[in-house]
Amino acid sequence: MKITKIQRFCMHDGPGVRTVVFLAGCPLRCSWCHNPEGQSFDTEILFEAKKCINCGACAAACPMGAHSFAAGVHAFDRDKCISCMKCTKVCCTKALEPSAVDMTADEILAFVEKDRAFYGKEGGVTLSGGEPLAHPRKAIELLTECRKRNIGTAVETSGYFDASLLSELVPLVDIFLWDFKDSNDTRHKEYTGVSNEKTKNNLLLADSMGAKSILRCITVKGVNAEKEHWGKIAKLWKSLNHSLYAELIPYHAMGGSKMLLLGRPDNGRPDWIPTQEMMNEAKEYLSALGVRVK
Amino acid sequence: MEFYTQSGLVRPVRLSEKTRQFAYDSLHHKYGLDTRKTDAVALDGIPNFEDLTPLEQYDIAVREICQNAPIRICDGELISGAATLGGAIKHVVPATLNGEYMCGSISHLTVDFDSVLKYGITGIRARAEESLKKYAKSEREPFLRSCLNCLDSFDIWHKRYLDALKDSPEYADNYRNLKKVPLQPAENFYEAVQSIWFTFAFLRLCGNWPGIGRIDYMLGEYLENDLKAGAITLDRAREILAHFFIKGCEWISGGNYVSGDAQHYQNILICGTDENGKEVTNSVTYLVLDILEELGISDFPTSVRLNKNTDEKLLRRVAEVMRFGGGMLAVYNEDLIIDAMTSYGYPLKEARSFANDGCWEVQVPGATDFQYMPFDSLALLQRKTLKEYAENPDFPDFESLYAQYVKNLSDEVTHMCTSCARNFYPADVPEKERRCKTADPCTLVSLFEKGCIEKGLSYLEGGPVYCVRSPHIGGFADTVNSLYAIKKLVYDEKKLSLSEFIEILKNNWEGEEALRQYVLTHYSYYGSDNDEVDMLASRLLTDFADICDSMDGKCGYRFPAGVSTFGRQLGWAPQRLASPHGRKAGEVLAANCSPTPGTDINGATAVIRSYGKCNLRRMVTGAALDIKLTPSSVAGEDGIGALTALMRGFVATGGCFMQPDVLDAAVLKEAQEHPENYQTLSVRVSGWNARFVTLNKEWQDMVIAQNEGK
Repeated sequence: MKITKIQRFCMHDGPGVRTVVFLAGCPLRCSWCHNPEGQSFDTEILFEAKKCINCGACAAACPMGAHSFAAGVHAFDRDKCISCMKCTKVCCTKALEPSAVDMTADEILAFVEKDRAFYGKEGGVTLSGGEPLAHPRKAIELLTECRKRNIGTAVETSGYFDASLLSELVPLVDIFLWDFKDSNDTRHKEYTGVSNEKTKNNLLLADSMGAKSILRCITVKGVNAEKEHWGKIAKLWKSLNHSLYAELIPYHAMGGSKMLLLGRPDNGRPDWIPTQEMMNEAKEYLSALGVRVK
Repeated sequence: MEFYTQSGLVRPVRLSEKTRQFAYDSLHHKYGLDTRKTDAVALDGIPNFEDLTPLEQYDIAVREICQNAPIRICDGELISGAATLGGAIKHVVPATLNGEYMCGSISHLTVDFDSVLKYGITGIRARAEESLKKYAKSEREPFLRSCLNCLDSFDIWHKRYLDALKDSPEYADNYRNLKKVPLQPAENFYEAVQSIWFTFAFLRLCGNWPGIGRIDYMLGEYLENDLKAGAITLDRAREILAHFFIKGCEWISGGNYVSGDAQHYQNILICGTDENGKEVTNSVTYLVLDILEELGISDFPTSVRLNKNTDEKLLRRVAEVMRFGGGMLAVYNEDLIIDAMTSYGYPLKEARSFANDGCWEVQVPGATDFQYMPFDSLALLQRKTLKEYAENPDFPDFESLYAQYVKNLSDEVTHMCTSCARNFYPADVPEKERRCKTADPCTLVSLFEKGCIEKGLSYLEGGPVYCVRSPHIGGFADTVNSLYAIKKLVYDEKKLSLSEFIEILKNNWEGEEALRQYVLTHYSYYGSDNDEVDMLASRLLTDFADICDSMDGKCGYRFPAGVSTFGRQLGWAPQRLASPHGRKAGEVLAANCSPTPGTDINGATAVIRSYGKCNLRRMVTGAALDIKLTPSSVAGEDGIGALTALMRGFVATGGCFMQPDVLDAAVLKEAQEHPENYQTLSVRVSGWNARFVTLNKEWQDMVIAQNEGK
C-alpha cells in the first residue's frame, strides 16, 4: 500500500505514544488540507528547490527532458513528467522525492513494532492519511494484525467511507479521531468538495455500535469559526454516547508550502488562522453548552 | 521571587518564604561572591616548612585552613558549615606558599557518608588509631599519622562553628546538632542531614569535590522513623533538606568558567534497589523531587535509578519535575548497570549499591579510586588507520579495514593502561604489598574511602577497595558512522574506490558536494534505529570492551570500559579531518554516546533504540545518552506521558544512562543576547549542569546547535 510517511513518537494523535502511519489517497479536497501530499492515490514528485545543489543528475536521468537548468535555476516542467521516478532515485540531496512509497503490511508492522517498548498501556498505532479508510481492506488488514499483536489502534478519519465497513471496523479500533469539518453542508461542499452527510451518519452509526471517539473540529477564521457552527457541534457531540471529548484544532497555513512542493500554487490563507482569543472563546462557548472540550 | 524554568510552567510553592529567599539569594551569587573574598590561606613564614615531606606540608595546610578559613553562618540557615575559600572552587587545596597553590585536590569520587552517619568521625578516628598500631614503624605509618592530624584539624574547624553558634538562640538547633554530629553517629533525620552536610563542607573547604551519592538511601530510614514517632513533619523535613540543597549553591558564581559554573561533581542519586534488592524509594525521595521542582536548583545534578519495576507514581513524579528543564534529573537503568557490574566481577551487593563519581560515571561509592581516560576514537581512525589521508590505503575489503582499526584501537588503549600500570607495583607481588609508587597527598578523602585506613594507603596509593582507571571512548558515533559510510559507499555499493574516497576526504570534500549530500541524506546513521549501522556500533563497543578486559591482572588497577566526551567534542573539533559520513574538517560532532548532530532523523525513540542495541552491559563505568526536548513536546498531560514513555522505553531497550533536558533554542539565543535576564537559566552539559550564561560562547553555541538538531 502507498504510505506517505510513518512518524514515530507522536503525542498528539491519540492517547499515549503513537506511531502514525499515513496512507496516501483521499476523496476529499479540503481547502485547509495540511497534508496535501496525501491527497493523491498516485505517487507524485515532491520538489524542494532550496535543497537542490544543481548537480544535474536528474536532467541526465529524465527520459522526457522535464528537468532543465538555466542560469543556475533548476526548472521542473511537470507537464512533461510521466512519473517514472527516475529523477528521485538519482537526486543526491533528496530535493526530488516520491510523495509516497509502496510498503507491504509486514513492512509497516515491522516499523510499528520498533517502538513497542514505548507504547505502554495507552499508546500504539494510528492510521492517518490521506483518508486511511479509503483503503478499507488494507486498513482492516493492518488493524487486525495490530490486534493480534496486542498493539493499540486508533484511526484518524474524515468519516467519508462506506458505512458497510463499520461492523468489521469498530471492533478493531480502540479510538477514532473523527474529523468533522463543518456543520453547514453548503460550506462543507464548497470547501471540501463533498457533503457532510456521510461523515455525520457514519459517526452516529459507529457511536451506536460502541465506537470510542474524539470529535476533532478544524477551526477556520472567517469560514466556520462562528456560534451557529459551535451550537451544531455541541448538539452532535451530545448525541454521542462514546465520545471522550471534542477537540478544536486551529487552522494553520503550513499546508500551503507543501502545495508548492507538489508544483501547485501556495493555497495557505494566513487570514484564516484563528486568534488564541477566538479559540478560547469557542472552547468556553462549547463548555457552556455542556461539551467536554480540549 | 521566581525560579527560572525553560518550559513556562509555574513552579509550586511549598517552602517557607524565608527558605525561598535563602535559595534566591544563593542562586543569585550572594555567597559565591562572599567566597571569592578569601582565596586561600598563606603558609609563608612557617619555620623549616620547606624541609618537611609533602605529606607533612599537606597536614599543615589543612590545619591552617581549619584555623583560618572564614566562618560563615547564613541568615536563617537550618544547617551549618561552609566552604568559604575561593581557591577551593579552582580544584586545589586552598593554601599558598609564595603565592602559589601547593597541592591539587581530588574529585570524581563519592565518599562514604554512610559510615559517617553510622559511626561518626570518632568511629573513623578509632579505626585510624587501630590501624596505626598495626602499621607503626612501617612505611605506611606517615599516612596514618596524617589521618590523625587531619582529624585534629577537623576538630579545630568544628569547634570554631560551635563557638560561633553557641550564644545565638536563632541557631540553637544548629548548635545542638553540631555538638553531636558528625563526631557521633546521627540519630534522627535533622542530625543526619547536618552530619552529611558538615562532612561535605569540610572536604570542599579543603578543595575536594566529592559527590553525595544515594541521599534517600542514606537518609530514608532516619526520616521514616522520625515520622513514625511523630518527631517531625514532612513539611519541616522538606525545609531542612532544602537548606542542604541551597547551601550547595554557595559557590555560585564564585569564579569564571569555560564550561559553566555548576560543575563541582556533587551529583546525587535517588531510588533503586538496596544491597538486598529491595526498592529504596521513600519519603526523602519525594522531598528531593519537591525541592528540585520548587527551587530549580541544578547544582546537585540528580539521577534517578530506574528499573523495570519502577513504580508508576514515582515515574510520573520524575516526569513532572523533568518538565521544568534545567537538566536537573537524569536516569540510570539499574537493571543493566547491576548486570554489567556483576558480569565484570563486582559482588552483587556492591553492584546494587552503585552510585557515581560525582559526575555520571558509575562506581561503588566510598570504596573506589576512580579516574577515566578519554581518547578520540575518530582521530584514531583518521590519523592512524587512514594515515591522515596521506597514503594510498590498501584494504581489499571492509573486514581488513575494520581489523586494522581495532588494532589501532588496541594499541591506543593498551598504551594508556600500561602507562597507568607502571605506577602500580605489579600483580606478581602479594596483594597486601601492592600499592602505587608515587602519589600526591590526599589524606582527607582517604579518611572516607573504605580500604584506605585499613590498608594504611591513601586514596591515590591504592588504598580503596576498588582502583579503577576507565578508558572512555570518545567520538564513538562518528567513528561508527565513518566506518559505515566507507562500508556502504566503497565496499557495498562500489561507487568509488577507497583511494578515490580518501583523496576526496583529503581535499575536505572540495568540489564533491553531490557525493557529500548523497552520504549525508541517503544513509541513515547511528541514532536512527537502522539495524545495519547499530550492529556495527555494538560490534565496535564489544571489541573495545574486550581490549580493556585484556588489560586485567597487570596491576592493582582494573580498566573497565565506558563511553564519553563530556565537552571534549568541542576541543577535538579543530584537529579533526573531514569525515567519511559527510562532515567537513573541524566540525563539532557527537557528544558522549549520543548520535552525530543532525542524524537523529527518526526522533527520540529511535535514538534510544539505537543506543540500547550497543551492548552497553560491557560499558561498566557507563555510557551517557543526551536527549534534548523542546518545551512544546513536554507540555501538558501529553508531555508527562511522553517523558514517562521515554523512561520506560529506555529501561526496556537496555539503555544505561540518559540525560533528558528541556530546552528552547530561541530562549537560549535570547539569553546569549541578554545574559542579565537569564542569570539562573541552567542547562545540562553532560554529567553536570551549568548556568547557561556562564558558559563561554563556543559552549553556548554547541548547546544551541544540539537543541536545533544541527
